[in-house]
Amino acid sequence: MPTRSPARLVVALAVAGVLAIFLLYTAVAGHSTPTLTPSEIQGKSGKLQVVGTVVGTLHGDSHGASGLQFQLVDPQGHGGKRVDVVYRGSAPPPLFKVGRSVVVSGTYAHGRLQGNDIVTKCPSKYTSAN
Amino acid sequence: MIVIGLVLVAAVVVLVALPFLREPVATDDRLDAPTDADARRLALIEERDHALAALKELEFDHRTGKVDDADYRELVGPLRQAAAVALRSLDPPQE
Amino acid sequence: MADLGRAALVVTFGLAVYSLVVGGIAARRNERRLAASARNALYCSFASTLVAAAVLATALVRHDFSFRYVAAHTNRHLPTAYALSAFWGGQEGSLLLWLLVLTGYGALAVAINRRLLRDLTAWVVPVIGGIATFFSFVLVAVASPFDTQTAPFDGAGLTPSLQNPYMVAHPPMLYLGYVGLSVPFAFAAGALLSGRTDERWIVATRRWTLAAWTFLGIGQLLGAHWAYVEVGWGGYYAWDPVENAALMPWLAATAFLHSVMVQERKGMLKVWNMVLVALAFELSVFGTFLTRSGVVNSIHSFAKSSIGPWFLAFVVISSVFSLALIMWRLPLLKAKTKLESALSREAAFLYNNLLLVALCLTILWGVLFPIVTQLVKGETRTIGRPYYDFFLRTFGLPLLLLMGIGPLVAWRKSSLRGLTRMLAWPIAAAAVTGIVLVVVGAGSSRPGLIAYTFSAFVLTTIAVELVRGTRATGSLFTLVARNRRRYGGYVVHASVVLLAIGIAGSSAYSSSVERRLALGQSMTVAGYTLTNRGVTVDRKPNVTETRAHLDVTGPWRGSLSSGDNQYVNPPEPSREVGIHTDWLRGEDLYVIVDESHAKTGVVFVQVLVKPLINLIWVAGIVFLFGSMVALWPDAREQRRLVARLAPVVP
Repeated sequence: MPTRSPARLVVALAVAGVLAIFLLYTAVAGHSTPTLTPSEIQGKSGKLQVVGTVVGTLHGDSHGASGLQFQLVDPQGHGGKRVDVVYRGSAPPPLFKVGRSVVVSGTYAHGRLQGNDIVTKCPSKYTSAN
Repeated sequence: MIVIGLVLVAAVVVLVALPFLREPVATDDRLDAPTDADARRLALIEERDHALAALKELEFDHRTGKVDDADYRELVGPLRQAAAVALRSLDPPQE
Repeated sequence: MADLGRAALVVTFGLAVYSLVVGGIAARRNERRLAASARNALYCSFASTLVAAAVLATALVRHDFSFRYVAAHTNRHLPTAYALSAFWGGQEGSLLLWLLVLTGYGALAVAINRRLLRDLTAWVVPVIGGIATFFSFVLVAVASPFDTQTAPFDGAGLTPSLQNPYMVAHPPMLYLGYVGLSVPFAFAAGALLSGRTDERWIVATRRWTLAAWTFLGIGQLLGAHWAYVEVGWGGYYAWDPVENAALMPWLAATAFLHSVMVQERKGMLKVWNMVLVALAFELSVFGTFLTRSGVVNSIHSFAKSSIGPWFLAFVVISSVFSLALIMWRLPLLKAKTKLESALSREAAFLYNNLLLVALCLTILWGVLFPIVTQLVKGETRTIGRPYYDFFLRTFGLPLLLLMGIGPLVAWRKSSLRGLTRMLAWPIAAAAVTGIVLVVVGAGSSRPGLIAYTFSAFVLTTIAVELVRGTRATGSLFTLVARNRRRYGGYVVHASVVLLAIGIAGSSAYSSSVERRLALGQSMTVAGYTLTNRGVTVDRKPNVTETRAHLDVTGPWRGSLSSGDNQYVNPPEPSREVGIHTDWLRGEDLYVIVDESHAKTGVVFVQVLVKPLINLIWVAGIVFLFGSMVALWPDAREQRRLVARLAPVVP
């Protein structure tokens, strides 16, 4: 009767251990944020990210008390839904401007996004001719 | 431009057809793939090389002190056996 | 001229299909001349791709804006070097580069091995042909670099932050890596298809794999360094999907590189090796899909592109093909020896495989998560940095430790007594390092402390190995020259340790302060005092440079400036940061001025002190050196190889 070598058992336990760590972490810590477009954000609240194109005029200063104010629309331009954003923190990245596609992270409540982080996308690299 | 293109295409066609242009009739068109006997021999050669390499590595590890005398004595026996078996199962005249 | 380019690509497509179909038939039917013909087709496909590449390169250098691609990525002002680098700056051009390297590598690998490994190479040709068929199809029918238009007067130009030597070298390095992985993949598939699953395919492709892996590693470090100095947020890696797209195949390739050693010595882990090489290849193509298709939100990729569905289809089809091939040949992949002890070199390699694959799949899950949640829940959710940091620590720190223990464990079975004897010095060094670090205050970060003690452990094991080996052979040079693979590998391990120390230091022990400074006002960070000396605006022909100047006192006396550049052509801004590298103290002083007012002199500045970050770049140099040692051709090894394979080839 062939006896299984202890090595196999150790390896199997190692694999199980790795899996357990993984599942435990994702169950407990989660740490995923919803990433939504302005049209999807209606009715939601809490910590989330909004992907959109910057429109309108920019008011204020991110370092100031009332922050930098602007609006976001859907990246492809569908639907007219706009999201008001108040961004506070370090100045937005240099590529930030009206017409640019950005991702703003923050807390959404009462129809307004209190943003604390902006990521802009590098323009034009790898876009198909449009 | 068109002339360059046509010349290149012609060259490509010639190169791709070359094996057949060189030997319109081939006496032996086999791919020279190893036969089963050859494959078995190759496997034995690999075993011989494995055994010799393992022996060499053990000697080196022993010399550099990674394997102590007790462990060396325990391990070297089976390895020498394996190497001897592999060498023997290859054609004796090879030695 | 665009016609010549288009025609050349059509010819490549035809030749790729020929080498795929005819090559497959020739291998199946064992026909020599047909196989030679398919091989020649592969060589010619490289030549025709080269013609297409030459056409594009010429158009770029000549600023021929009738080429839509040239107009989109260059302009008249652009220096020639950057105009040429725009070859791989856009989607169509980078696909052409992929195809060029693929056909080039494929032709070379087949040509080198055609005599020694006839039956194997006969199957490698159709596999490479298949991959080339896909890429040339996309280039001909979906995304052609040779679309023309009426030439505008001037082109759109290249984003200024990309006009940088690092960004010139980064993409080609990555490509040589990505595409390089198709060679071992093709040989592995060839081995399975021909039924010759002995290790010939591993031995033949060992240097290819090592070279590709090195290029991929260096390419990533170049990208990280560019991000650090040019993008200027203070970091070098953001766990962005496009960054991960290069890391994942690199991790799989690392596992493969190590795991094949077990197959070569013990005839074990054969199925692992097939799966790992297929995983590495599929991840590199998948990475290209991620970067180009716009399917995941990323700082790098944007508009949804038409090539996405094609790439996805290719990845799915080739994965299914690889899996089916492995399952079909499973009986041939049975291990020659069994795993005898959980404390053996074989087991150490197995743990290595498990940890690397676990890390790789964890990252893959993080990248795919937004897509999965969108499909399952209808809502896109993104996974943030903490997830990646946690798993990098959970899997990375044990890997670090394993790097030290693995080389000291004996094959087959190691006694605990023997192991503790070998590890005495390293454990002592680690303990001493740990105590000293806690005393100087490094206990503030537990992962950082663990990383440092593990690093001390591994460095000591490497030092002990070198000392022991030198004593046995008499000279360090002879030692390394006779065992290039092993000691080259140790140097690479040392570079990984340096990388770990650099990462730990710059993340766990860094300081960051943000302040608004009026003219003349000061701030203090980690012992440095910075004073705002005002803002200058410098108008040059193509750029307006706004800089805030700060005087620095403390461990270093000097001045740093930072601010923004606003370019005229193309009209783009870029952030310019101020970095001072102190080699003696081993830290970087990093200044980001994100807002400055020239009239009032008020600036908003973020100052970071990043300890030991430069070890990351030093690690890159050591890594390259170690790889070159391991890659160095060995005449004796070559003779042994030929002697082994020759008797079988009449």
